[in-house]
Formats: sequence, C-alpha cells, structure tokens
Amino acid sequence: MKLALWSYQAPAHVGVSKAAASFGKLHCVVRAPKGDGYSIIMLAMFERLGVLPPLSFCAMSEATLAGAAADLPSMLREIDAREKPEMIVVTRSATASVLQEPLDGEIAMMRPGDVNAEIFMATTHPMRDTELSAFARTTREIVAHFAQDTPRTERPSVNIIGPSLLGFHDRANVESLRKSFAALGIEINAVLPLGATPDDLRTIGRAWVNIPTAHELAKPTLDFLRERFGTPYVDELPYGEAGTTRFLRELCGLCEIPQERIAIAARDAKLLWYSRTVDAHALSSKRVGVFGLPTAAAGIARVLRDELDMEVEFVGTYALDYGDWLRERVRDITDNVLVTDDYRAVAREIDRTRPDIVFGSQMERHSASGFGVPCAVVSPPSHILNYPLGYAPFIGYDGANHIGDLVNQTQVLGLEHHLIETFGPRGQGRFAEAAPEPEAEAAVARVPVAAGSIAEEELRWDPAAERLLGRVPFFVRKKARANVEKYARERQIAVIDEAVMLRAREHVGG
Amino acid sequence: MEANAAVIERDDFCSLAPIGWLHHKMQDSFFLVVGTGSCQGFLQTALGVMIFAKPRFATAVLDEDDLGGADPLDGLRPIVAAIVAEHAPKAIFLASTCTPEILKMNVAGCAPPLEAEFGVRVYPCRLDGFDPAYTQGEDHVLQSMIARAPETDEKNLVILGCLSALEEAEIRIECANMGLPEPAFLPGESALDVPALGPNTVLASVHPYLFAAAAYAQRERGCPLHKTIFPYGPDGTRAFYETLAAAFGKSVSYADREREAWDALASQTEPLRGKTIVFCSDAMLELPLARTLRAAGARVPVVGTPNIYKKFHAAEIATLSDVEILERPDRFVLFDRLASLAPDLVVANLNIANPLEGMGFAVKWSTELTFQPIHGFSGASTLFGMFAATLRRHEALAARRARDGAPGAPIDLGFFHLAGSNR
Repeated sequence: MKLALWSYQAPAHVGVSKAAASFGKLHCVVRAPKGDGYSIIMLAMFERLGVLPPLSFCAMSEATLAGAAADLPSMLREIDAREKPEMIVVTRSATASVLQEPLDGEIAMMRPGDVNAEIFMATTHPMRDTELSAFARTTREIVAHFAQDTPRTERPSVNIIGPSLLGFHDRANVESLRKSFAALGIEINAVLPLGATPDDLRTIGRAWVNIPTAHELAKPTLDFLRERFGTPYVDELPYGEAGTTRFLRELCGLCEIPQERIAIAARDAKLLWYSRTVDAHALSSKRVGVFGLPTAAAGIARVLRDELDMEVEFVGTYALDYGDWLRERVRDITDNVLVTDDYRAVAREIDRTRPDIVFGSQMERHSASGFGVPCAVVSPPSHILNYPLGYAPFIGYDGANHIGDLVNQTQVLGLEHHLIETFGPRGQGRFAEAAPEPEAEAAVARVPVAAGSIAEEELRWDPAAERLLGRVPFFVRKKARANVEKYARERQIAVIDEAVMLRAREHVGG
Repeated sequence: MEANAAVIERDDFCSLAPIGWLHHKMQDSFFLVVGTGSCQGFLQTALGVMIFAKPRFATAVLDEDDLGGADPLDGLRPIVAAIVAEHAPKAIFLASTCTPEILKMNVAGCAPPLEAEFGVRVYPCRLDGFDPAYTQGEDHVLQSMIARAPETDEKNLVILGCLSALEEAEIRIECANMGLPEPAFLPGESALDVPALGPNTVLASVHPYLFAAAAYAQRERGCPLHKTIFPYGPDGTRAFYETLAAAFGKSVSYADREREAWDALASQTEPLRGKTIVFCSDAMLELPLARTLRAAGARVPVVGTPNIYKKFHAAEIATLSDVEILERPDRFVLFDRLASLAPDLVVANLNIANPLEGMGFAVKWSTELTFQPIHGFSGASTLFGMFAATLRRHEALAARRARDGAPGAPIDLGFFHLAGSNR
C-alpha cells in the first residue's frame, strides 16, 4: 500500500479511454465499478459535449460479487445499434482486473454478425501502466490495427499525433499548426487520436511526415509508422517563435520544400520582438522553474531561456520514464532536472529556489501560490480553466504569442516595477483595505452600518445569530447578512437572533 | 411500477462522494480510503483537492503485493502513523472500497488493532461503487458511528443525517417551541460526538438515504424505525415536525406555519406551477423532492430513482400514488420517455446533464441538491429557488436565441474531426 493524497496521472483505464474515445466512429467500453465512471463526467463537462460521450461503463454490481457474469454483450449490442461505431474498444479498470473475468470469452461467444462493429480488447495492464503509457500504447494499437499500404499523397502532407479529447489546449494547438502548414502548402492528412476515423487511419501511411505534439503520447505510434511506412517525424519541439521556426525548417527539409515560405507563416509571430521591447528587459533578471509533461517542460524551458533570456532554476516532469529524455533535451539549459511524481517534492523545490515565476500544472499553481510565487499553467493535470472557449494554443507561432502573454500576466513590469523596488508596495494598501479577507470579515464583531436611518443603527445581532452567520459560506455571507438585515428592518425587528435569521432565509433566501 | 427487463449497469457517482461534506462537517476527522488509484482519482477530481492545503482524506492505494494476499494491517500501519503525525485527527474513518470487497480483504478487522496502537478512534466503513446511490456513503459512515453509540434508556431525540448549522438551528428552535427534548445531531461537529441510543430513543432521519444506519440502530439498539415524510419543502417539514411531536406524545399543528411558508415562497413556486418536471438522477432525494414540487404546483409524471426502501420510504411513496416511479431505470428507456413527455425541466446527474441540454431539455444538475442547505422551512427558498432559477434561465435564453436567430448549437463529436482541415 502507498499513501496517495494527489496524483499527476490518472489510472491506466483513463489513458485507454481518452485515446480510444477520441478517435472518430469509435466507442470505448470500460468494465469497472460504476464509481469509476467519473471519467465520463470529466469528458462530458470539460469538453462541454452536447451529446453522450463515446465512452460507456459496463458497471460491476453486487450481483457481480455474487458471481454473475458481466453483461458485456448486451451493452455492446446496444452501443452498436445506437451509435453505429466502426469499432468498440474494451478495457477494464484495476478493480475489474482483480476479478479476472473472461471478457474475451464473452465476446467470442457472441454470434457472428451480432454486432456490426469490430470489438477490440486493449492490451494495457490496468495496474502497471500509467495514464500516459496506456494512452500512448492504445493509440499505437488502434493505428496499427487499421493502417493499410497506401501511396504517398502528391503534395507534402503530415499526420499530427498526440491531440485528444481532454487533452491540454489540443484543438487550439492543432489550429495553430494548421495555419503555419497552410502557409507552407503542407496538407494535414490526419490528426490523431482526436477525431481520426478508421478511414483516416487506413490512409495514415500516405503522409510524408509525422508531427508529435507531445513525444510521451506519440512515441509508440511514431515508431510504428516509421517501421511500417518509413515515415520520418519532426524531432524539434514547436515551442516559441525561434523553436517553431527551427521546427518548420526541419519539416521543410523532410518535405523537400523551400524554406522561404516560413516567413509568411511567421508573419504574426511577435514573441521575439516582444522580447526586445524595453518592457521585457526586466525579464533577464527573472528566475523561473518549469514542471509538467516532458515535452511541454522541455519546450517551455527553452523558450524562456533562449527567447526571453530568463534564468531557469529547474526543469522537471512527473512522467518518470521520460526523465532521461528530458535531461537530454535541456542539457544546455540546466543540470537541475527534477523527475518525481510527488507534488510535495516539487513544492519543496519551488520553496528552495523561490523562482520569480513557475510554469507548471494546476498543482504547481496551487503550491506556488502558497509561497506567493505567480504560476502560469502550461501542462496537465488541468481543470476546467484549461478548456477555454476561445483560442489559447501553446505551440506554433500563435502558441509563442500566448506564452508571451502568460509571462506578461504574471509580471509587474516597467515603471511600476521600479516604483515598487524603490518605495516598496505601500501604494497598494488602499486596495487591500477595500476588499477585506473573508476570514477577517468573519472575525470582527458587527459594526453598525455607516450613518443612516435610526433603524439601521439600532439593528443588533445577538451572539448566537452572529455565530450562525459565521457558518454561512464566506462567499455568500455578505449577501446573507444584507438579506437578513433588510428582512429585520422591514419588520421593525431590532435584535437579530437565530430565529429571525432563519425566518429571513425563508422569506428572502440566501 | 414498471419492470425493466434488461437494466444495464452504467456509470454513476461513487459512494466516496459524501466524504466531501462529511469531512467538512466533522473537522477533527480523517477519511482513509483503502482502494485503487481510481478511488484516489475520484477524490481528487470530484472533491477538488487542490483547494485544500491539507486535505483530511487520502487513499491507501493497493499494490500488487496487497492483491497477492499481504496482511492489510502491515500496509496500513505506517500510513496511519503518518496521518496521525501530520493531522492528529480525533477519529479516522477507514473506508473499504470495491477492490478490498472483491478480494475479501478484511479491512474492517484492521480497525481495532489500529485504534489500540495509535490511540485514535477508527471507524470501519464500506464506501464502494456497488451502492445504488452515491449518497449511501453517508449511510455507511453513520452506521459505523452508531456502532460506537453509548446505550441509554432515556427518551431522547437524535436527528440522523449530515446538516448545515443553519438547518440544525431551525430544528433546535422548533423542538424547543414544541417542548421536545434538545435534539442531538449525528453527525455532530466532532467525529467523537455519538449520541446515546436505546429503545426509547426517537431517531429521526432527515435524509431518505440513511436506511442502513436507521435499520442498524433498530436492530442493535432497539431504536424504533421512525417513519416519516422527510423535511423537504413546507409540506414535508410540517409533517416531519408533527410526527416528531407525536413520537413524544404531543399533538402539535404546523398547518398555519406551512401555509405561511408557502405564501413566503410564492415568487419561487409561481414559475413552477403547471410545469412538467421529470427526475432521472441518482441522489435518492427524488421521492421527497417530487412530492414537494407537486405540492408547489408542478406536474411530476415520472420519477426515476436509484433505490427504493419500501418501508423507509412508505410515507413518501403514499403521496405519489399517481406518479410513475421507476427504480433504477435504464438510461435509454428513460430518454425515450423524455422524448414523449417533453418535460419543461429534467433533473439529471452531471454525466448526462450537458448531453440532455444538447437534446434541448432544461436540466437541473442533481448533485447540487446534496450540497445545498434545503431542509426545513428556512431551506425551502433555496430548494425551490434552484428549480425556478434553472427554468427561468432556460426560458429567457431560449427566447433570446429565437429572437436573434442564433442557435447556440451544442458541441458534437464532429467538432473534433480535424483531418484534412486545410486541404
């Protein structure tokens, strides 16, 4: 047993279902206790799907414990009839794997033609695989299953490998790359797993080059496609303006197209000019820490050091089997590479180095805020804020601009910076007073409302009611207080006790 | 009731969810979940761990040694030691989940030796995804506390079910008004607060999902099963207080109080009048909420609910004689019904809430109902307000979209098909 308070990665079956459900015309079925089904809620809520997600749980119940077989065939038939997928991918959670049910046997017993979809058992290990390894492996398996020999496209084309449902700003990342590829005259053959249908996969081999958006997600698929079709992939990471330019140069080389058009693709790139503007000069004195998925961590660290001239205190990842990969990528940037899946170790490193800005996941944002250090979120684990309605890519030229904005938002720059350095943060006090801390507000005894009618001055809260008000969640406490006082005034009640408060709640809510 | 031939078990919220409110209620408690990374993932995503600097819940994640039959006590000892050192809880809830259940791992048996070794009370409880309703996690936690209740022959009053301070205050005040004994609450502020129970205790549950705890108290302590309508809405609250008084041999009428409460609620209930509301949620609050929504003037033709205890829910079911109640209905059977019923409002879980909105229904997400103080006369405004606000918003936005000719089309899966997007 191991004590776990919080994890960077979800269990393996989540990785399988993220990959499988992302493909078009595929459906994923997870055999698990129904409580494991929260990944459906995440999918429906974060991606704001207005349709049922292509993910179902075949839930274990009390009957399962008593020895009843999984009714997997019924569920497969139902999905087949309702959704008409071309393939249904079946996997199980760690809990279900303990039961060692013969799911393949149940599937094999189904009559031929019982369902039109192909049934595919994922091969990941529910306990040994991680979310990342399960995702990467399942993507490769599904691609390998459908891939067919096919001639190369006439014009240069690419497959973009890595984006998925519940991915990190993935749709925007694809859009950012698409704009650059359009300028270069390079077609997108397939994006996968996000939306790629079996038809897209059958012709996956016709692309000239493969583009990983994250090596840790794409590597097994990249290797498969290189072995099967000889397709090369771009190794450079498309992070930052200079990074994207290097990336596109490599791509142009592989596609045998002239590099002149890169300037057209780069016409909206502003990061390097921003870096030269006097506003950004103060960045040279700033120290940063970077932690997240290995590709994002390596890419962002290089942008911050090479393009913004910031000093990188540490780089790290929670993908433990990508530690060496990351060390190699950032060898010229820092020796301080942190490879850990313990968020407290990352917090300790933030505390020890006290960087000016942290670039990390939502957890680092939380840890850093405890030390008063600003944090830009550049990697999963994410939350709903990382599923913006608008366009916020992290890769390509548009992604570079966005990273510049993030740096900007975390910094006090220019004149303001000098004034604070010189005089200290005194001028900011006024604002702090205007918005008291919720706790402080709860602690002070009731001060009568400022000069007003006699009724207002006479209004008094008895200690029990005051205590009860303290139990109202702080974010609605002010409104609740106002509602109760309004109720009391309207009824000429001078002393607010618990009963008055509850009556007021009944009449005006809150 | 309609028989559903082939019910397919699907995803639902997990019984670990009540840890969210129970650990807030009992500030000196710690919840240690013995399970897999999936349990841990649920706690962290559903309960938003990052909000808390030091969450008072954690998972002892089973590894392959544990599956191989290692003694769970050996694995738990260092973990409990670390928790005691860091959090110094007064009590630890040791929760067994699906996996120990399948492995027949004796997690409960670890409680007494851990309690003896660390000098901290350890309540063994079962919080697993096999329960029909996620709210039943609270049922199991309270049952484990009742096992430690002191015995008594007094005619005391114990209110069963986790309530907010506001809801407790109302019950305290009303009991005083009726001349009843001061009520004790289970759970209380401390995980060590377990009121005495005995054959003369009036043990009144305020939630419809606490049957196991109530039945356990009846079996082990002889507390008679207190059958009542639950205190949701003015009608339910009136019946609840009147039944309480009757249990102490007093005849009290809350008829005027109920009428007054409905009058005060007019602005929230008016928008619900004549509206059709259908439940397809899994909170096990469906029966009482359907009852009070009908009392407020809404039509509730169909109620899907995860589980029915015929005796415990008898008073509620009696009020719904002309309502079709579906126990554990199949999701798609219910969807087909929705299409023909064309309700004004659907009450649904988060896993199907947005898809139902995408189908054009106005949806009230049901999980919120378990997080809001909606009991009693004082909570009724919050209760009806949630339904009224959802309806009002849906109608207002739909009208404006129609006026502006802007469809606000839902995101479908085609949105993510990007291959060939620049050909």
